[in-house]
Amino acid sequence: MKKLPIPRSLLQYAGLLGVLLLLVVVFSLASRNFLRAKTFTTIANQIPDLTCVAVGMTLVLIIGGIDLSVGAVLAVSSAVLGVLMTDYQWSLEAATGLCLLTGCLCGLFNGLVSVGMRVPSFIVTLGMLEIARGGAKLLTGSQTKYIGRPIEAIGEPLAGLAVSPAFLLSVSAVVVAQFVLTRTVFGRYCLAIGSNAEAVRMSGIRVAPYSISVFVISGLLAGVAGLIQTSRLSSADPNAAVGLELPAIAACVIGGTSLMGGRGNVVNSFLGVLIIRVLQTGLAHLGTTDAMKQVITGGVIVAAVLFDAIRRCWDDAGE
Amino acid sequence: MPACRLKWLCVLAPLVIAGCGASTPDATPGAESSSDAASTKKPRVALIMKSLANEFFSTMAAGAESHQKEHSGEYELIVNGIKDERDLSRQVALVEEMVAAGVDAIVIAPADSRALVPALRRAQDAGVVVVNIDNRLDAEVLQQEDVSIPFVGPDNQAGAKKVGDYLATKLLKGDSVAVLEGIRTSFNGTQRRLGFEAAMKNASISIVDSQSAEWEMSIANTIAAAMLSEHPEIKAILAANDSMALGAVAAVKAADRAGKVQIVGFDNISAVQQAIRDGAILATADQHGDQLAVFGIEAALKLLADPSAVAVADDVETPVDLITAESLGE
Repeated sequence: MKKLPIPRSLLQYAGLLGVLLLLVVVFSLASRNFLRAKTFTTIANQIPDLTCVAVGMTLVLIIGGIDLSVGAVLAVSSAVLGVLMTDYQWSLEAATGLCLLTGCLCGLFNGLVSVGMRVPSFIVTLGMLEIARGGAKLLTGSQTKYIGRPIEAIGEPLAGLAVSPAFLLSVSAVVVAQFVLTRTVFGRYCLAIGSNAEAVRMSGIRVAPYSISVFVISGLLAGVAGLIQTSRLSSADPNAAVGLELPAIAACVIGGTSLMGGRGNVVNSFLGVLIIRVLQTGLAHLGTTDAMKQVITGGVIVAAVLFDAIRRCWDDAGE
Repeated sequence: MPACRLKWLCVLAPLVIAGCGASTPDATPGAESSSDAASTKKPRVALIMKSLANEFFSTMAAGAESHQKEHSGEYELIVNGIKDERDLSRQVALVEEMVAAGVDAIVIAPADSRALVPALRRAQDAGVVVVNIDNRLDAEVLQQEDVSIPFVGPDNQAGAKKVGDYLATKLLKGDSVAVLEGIRTSFNGTQRRLGFEAAMKNASISIVDSQSAEWEMSIANTIAAAMLSEHPEIKAILAANDSMALGAVAAVKAADRAGKVQIVGFDNISAVQQAIRDGAILATADQHGDQLAVFGIEAALKLLADPSAVAVADDVETPVDLITAESLGE
């Protein structure tokens, strides 16, 4: 294990890229206009929200927690943004600040209660899911807030670059998180907390501040995702991102993050997001019925995870 | 631990007892009022909605509540909704709870046009007047269950056809369009799709792609983006509700086709009015959402006043209007 960290992760990247490539090939053959630059820039501009959420989710899963509230936190942050900009005529900058703060506070609550009081994060974030969703509906009066032009710049493709600032933002989140995870003390502690929190505590490191920070990061990134989605749709929808936690968790697990904690990789989660979105877009290109879309998506998720499990078994046997 | 549990019991027990106490006395007069004392007792009407989180239904509920305030001498109103439009079992439970609470009439927007029928039959058997609004119950299942429940509401198919006909005046013969459908199991979704299809067929415009975006903005955005790149010839997108239309607006803009692809919706939610004024959406249909529940309640009160009419209650059709930039300008 110690000898081969780099080849191992490279192998995993290759596996996920293989799955991705396979999907692209299948959809290109099956549909008329899938294989076009426009399709891929469209996907690139549609993934930033899920990407941000998946980055946060990866970190939370790594410390052995789970965050079910991400979709609802996205919605409440987006609601704050929408209400401030339409009903109170706040500037984009000020409203964005409060939108991100909302995300952080939700994450802080999750962290303080689950880590501080030692309540399983599953149930705390499930509670937060309801609180935040209800909050989004209260703030907006259950009405979609149409913001229009002032918010659109973040989600619109940059001139001459075809991708949006949101995409660049989400990719930099992936890069920064991966760097933090693999190259900093903070990241190492997170992995250690996930494998054996007790051992970390015994070696004289306070676990709580690290774990709480991870929940705050997840909340913040859900807030960023809220900003991004509001910008892409020009409106704040209190029902936005219902159930988003599931594709986010699926993306992490496809990317080989362990639900038990201690193992995970942000770049792989990003590849997981790509797999899920390419699948979604490809199936829409084919005009597949709803029922078939669900069956196929579920099948691919299971297949991708199985593929990863088999590869890992094979790896372990080889050593 | 046991001590801890006991403490909870102490807190919960009085609440439970109080809850039972509150519902029993109400139930008895309710049952009486349907027999002979109808004129002296105010009838209690339960409005059971789909998701109150959805603007369309919250507007409908608000309309009903303000109507009740104006007519507070005539009836009492209890409004309930479900959290998620797909949470059928909760809505069935609500029907049963309202019957148990002894209401005189149930006005319901069913989350599913089939699954709710048996529960509503049981309500009718218990002597409760049932009126169906918004989403029409399936005629076949009604027949199988041997019940007749009057439907009070707009003709969604005719409304969608109006929108489609208006769109057709802006397109040419032989143009291609795409449809964003609602959830396929919903009656309204099917009716609106049929209305769009009829309008396009009349104008010899072909529908090259038609997929469900589950009534949701973000899903509609993804699907519309894929439709636009798979079928670049698309001249218009017909969305079965306004949330999906807003999702399509974003997709059209992202594809740099703003102004070249027309979009129409359905429902006339407030967010879409701005988009219509801005020219991002061509038209939508207003089925007077704030009045829909009121129409249903009025029908229920009429039936309560004249119990002999229940067996032969007719459907009531409510108006649907076309909304365009011109009509908003007035």
